[in-house]
Amino acid sequence: MRRLPLILLLIAALAVLALSTGCGGGTSSSPTPSAAATDKTPVTITVWHPWTNPEKQVFLSAVKGFHAQYPWITVKIVGFPQSDTFDQQLIKAINTGNGPDVAISFGPDYVGQYAASGLWQDLKPYMQASSFSMSQFPAAALSYTSFQGKQVALPVLTDAYGLYYNKDLLAKAGIAGPPKTMSELTADAKKLTVKNPDGTIKIAGFVPLNSWEELGPADLSRSWGATWFDAQGQPHLATDPGWSAALTWQKQLVDWYGYDNITKFFATYGGPSEWDASNAFQTGKVALLFDGEWRTAFIKRYTPKLNYGTAAFPAADDQPALYGVGRVGGTIVGMPKGCSQPQAAWQFMQYVATDTDFLVSLANGLGNVPTTQAAAQSPSLSLPPQFKAFVGVWNNPKSNYSPPLTASGAGYASLLNAFDEQWVAGKVPDLNAGLAKVDKQISDQLAIGSQAP
Amino acid sequence: MPSGAGVPHILRRTPEERRRARRRKSLRKYGLVLLCLSPWIVGFIVFAAVPMALSLYWSFTHYDMLSSPHWVGLDNYKYMLGLGHLKINGIKVAAASHHDPFFWATVRNTLWIIVVGVPLRVLFALVTAMVLTRPKRGVNLYRTFFFMPYMAPIVGATLVFVYLLNPTTGPVNIILTKIGLHPPLWFYDPTWSKPALVMLGLWGIGDAIVIYMAGLLNVPRELYEAIAIEGANAWQRFRNVTLPLVTPVIFFTLVMGIIAGFQYFDQAYIAGNTASGQNSELGSPQNSLLFYGLWLYQQAFRFFHMGYAAALAWVLFAATMAATVALLLTSRRWVYYGGGER
Repeated sequence: MRRLPLILLLIAALAVLALSTGCGGGTSSSPTPSAAATDKTPVTITVWHPWTNPEKQVFLSAVKGFHAQYPWITVKIVGFPQSDTFDQQLIKAINTGNGPDVAISFGPDYVGQYAASGLWQDLKPYMQASSFSMSQFPAAALSYTSFQGKQVALPVLTDAYGLYYNKDLLAKAGIAGPPKTMSELTADAKKLTVKNPDGTIKIAGFVPLNSWEELGPADLSRSWGATWFDAQGQPHLATDPGWSAALTWQKQLVDWYGYDNITKFFATYGGPSEWDASNAFQTGKVALLFDGEWRTAFIKRYTPKLNYGTAAFPAADDQPALYGVGRVGGTIVGMPKGCSQPQAAWQFMQYVATDTDFLVSLANGLGNVPTTQAAAQSPSLSLPPQFKAFVGVWNNPKSNYSPPLTASGAGYASLLNAFDEQWVAGKVPDLNAGLAKVDKQISDQLAIGSQAP
Repeated sequence: MPSGAGVPHILRRTPEERRRARRRKSLRKYGLVLLCLSPWIVGFIVFAAVPMALSLYWSFTHYDMLSSPHWVGLDNYKYMLGLGHLKINGIKVAAASHHDPFFWATVRNTLWIIVVGVPLRVLFALVTAMVLTRPKRGVNLYRTFFFMPYMAPIVGATLVFVYLLNPTTGPVNIILTKIGLHPPLWFYDPTWSKPALVMLGLWGIGDAIVIYMAGLLNVPRELYEAIAIEGANAWQRFRNVTLPLVTPVIFFTLVMGIIAGFQYFDQAYIAGNTASGQNSELGSPQNSLLFYGLWLYQQAFRFFHMGYAAALAWVLFAATMAATVALLLTSRRWVYYGGGER
C-alpha cells in the first residue's frame, strides 16, 4: 500500500500560508459605477475562465465581439489547464491580491461562500447604475447567482436537466410518448426492460440509481416538490414528505430489478462511459434517461442516427403542476474583490451575460442552454429540436439550482447521496429514521463551517 | 639555545591561543558542514517546520480559506470527538450535539486496512521472497516479474484493478462464473471493496519482496547446516533460524506498512471515483472506502474546512506516532539482531 504523499500535505499547508498572508488585501479603489459609466479611457482588464479545449476555442472566438463593441477595453484572457481546481486557484489568487478583474466559473456551489465572505463583490451598485435588471433572466437564475440578498454573479449559459427517451424502444414496447408522472415512469421502465436468459438486464427501462449519469436522489425528490431546509434554515428531509415519497419510489423500482442485478448493470454501463461513444443511452441499452442538455451534442457527435426525444422529467402523480420543473445551473461570471477596473469589468460581465450574438455563438459551440430569452429565441441558434425541452425547464419559474447555496458551501449534498447508496441496497430498515440521521449529519457538516469568533 | 628557539610558532602558542585555534578550526569545520547541509535545513524549515507549526495553529482556529482564521480553541477537536462544548453561530452548544458524522467511520475503515492489510502484506512478501530464493535457474526473471508491479503508476494500477474486478465485464468474475462460483461485486459492494484494495496492495508488493529477499539471503548457511545436523525439519528450520533472523525486516515492513496504512489515500480515492462514476466524496460504495486521509482531504479541499482538517491531520500524526512508538517498544521482545543488541 502507498500513503497520502507528504508533499500533498505540504502543498496544502503552503497554499494556506500563501492565503493567510494575502487575507484582507485587494480592496477596490475604483471610481463609482455611475461616474465611470461613460469613461472611454483605454483600459485593460484580466478575465479568468475555466474552459479547456476544445470549448476554450469556442469561448475565445465568441468573445472577440466584445472588443468590437468596446474598443477602448482590452481584455487579457487567462485560461487554466484544470477546470476542476479552477475555483480553488481563484480563491487563493483573490486572497493574495492577485485575482482577476472578472472571473468566469463553473461552480455555482461556491456562490454562497463567495457572497458570504465578500470574495465576489455584490453587483447591485453596478446594476442600479446601469439599470440592469435580473428580470431579463428566468427566476431560476437567482437560485445560484445570489445569496442572502447579495447578487454576486450573473449567468452565462446554463445546464438544464430533463428526460431523454429512445423513440424506437418506446414504439417497440407500445408506448406512445414519454412518461409525465412517476407512476408512468415506473410502468414504462418495467415495460421497456429486457432481460437476458440468465436474468441479467439486457436493456434497462430506467436506471434509478444515484450517479447513474446525472441522476441523484435530490432530482427524484424534486418531482414531489421536496425542499432541503425549513423556514428556519434547518435541514428537514425527515419531515418533508416529498423525500420519503421519492426514495420509496426509487427503492421499489430498484427492488423490481433486484439490487445486485441493477448494480451489475451499473457496473457494466455506468461510470466513465457517460462521456464517450459507448454511453448506454446512445447505444440503446437504456430507454429512459435523466440527463443534461449537453447529451444532445454527444448524440450528434457519436450516434447521430439515434431516434430520440426529450421532455421534462416526470412529476409525482398528485403534483401535476410540477411537470416541467427541473434542475438548472451552469457557468457564472462575477467580479472578485480587488478588481482594479470595475467599470470595464462590469461592461464585460454585461456583455457575456446578455449579448445575444455572444450567447448564441457560445451556445451553438458548447451545446448549453442560452440564458436570456432573446438568445433562446434567436433564429441564429442552431441547436437540435430536442433542445427545446431544456429551454422550457430553464424558463420554468419553479426550476432551481440544487443543492441550495449555503455560506458553508454545498458539500452537504454528498451526505444524502451516501445515505441513498445504503437505502437502495436495503441497509436502512427505517427510512424516516435514516432521513433524520441525514438531517443531523447535514446540520453537523454545516456547523463546523459556521463556527463563530 | 634559548627556550623556544627553533620551535614552530604553533607550539609556542599559549594554551588559550591553542584553544582559540581549535575553536576556529572547529567552527570552520561545522561552518562547512552547515553550508553543505543548508539546502536541506532551508528546505526543512520552509517545507516542513513552518507548515507544521502553522497547521498546528490552524487546528485551533476556524479557517475556511475564504477569510482570515479566528481562534476557536479546542472546538475542532471537540467536534471531531463529540466532547465538551463548542460555539456555533455564537451560541454555545454541547459538542455531542454537533460532531463529525464520519470521523469514527473513517477510523474503522483505516484500522481495517491496517489490521488486515499490513499483516497480509508481511506474510505474502515473506512467503514470496522465500519461494524466490529457491530457484537455481531463471531467478532474476522471477524476481523481475514480481518486482514489476511495484513500478506501475498507482493510478494506472488501480484503474486496471477496477477493470479486472468489474462484476460483469471483468475477467476475474468471468472466470469465477465459469467455474460455477457466484463472484462478488468487488468495488460495488462494501463488503468486498476493501479486500479488493488489499489484493491490489499485495499485487504491488515488489518493494517488500526485495527487502525480504535481502534479509533471507543474509541468513548464514552454516546455521541451516547446523540445524540440519540436529535433524530439524523444514518448519523447524524456518521457525528457529529463518524467522528470528528476518525479524528486523519484518519489524521494518510493519512500521512502514502501519504508517502507510494511516495515510491510505490514492487507491481508495481512484477506485471509489472510478467505480461509482462520480467524485466520490464519501468513499463509495456505502462509505466503505472513506479512509481517514480521504476524509481529511475532503474537509480541506472540498468543504474548505481547513482549520478542522488541520486538527484531523494532527490527530492522525499523533495516532501514527503512538502506533510506531508502541511497536518500537514491543520490538525489544521479538526482534532479533544477529549482530547483537542495537
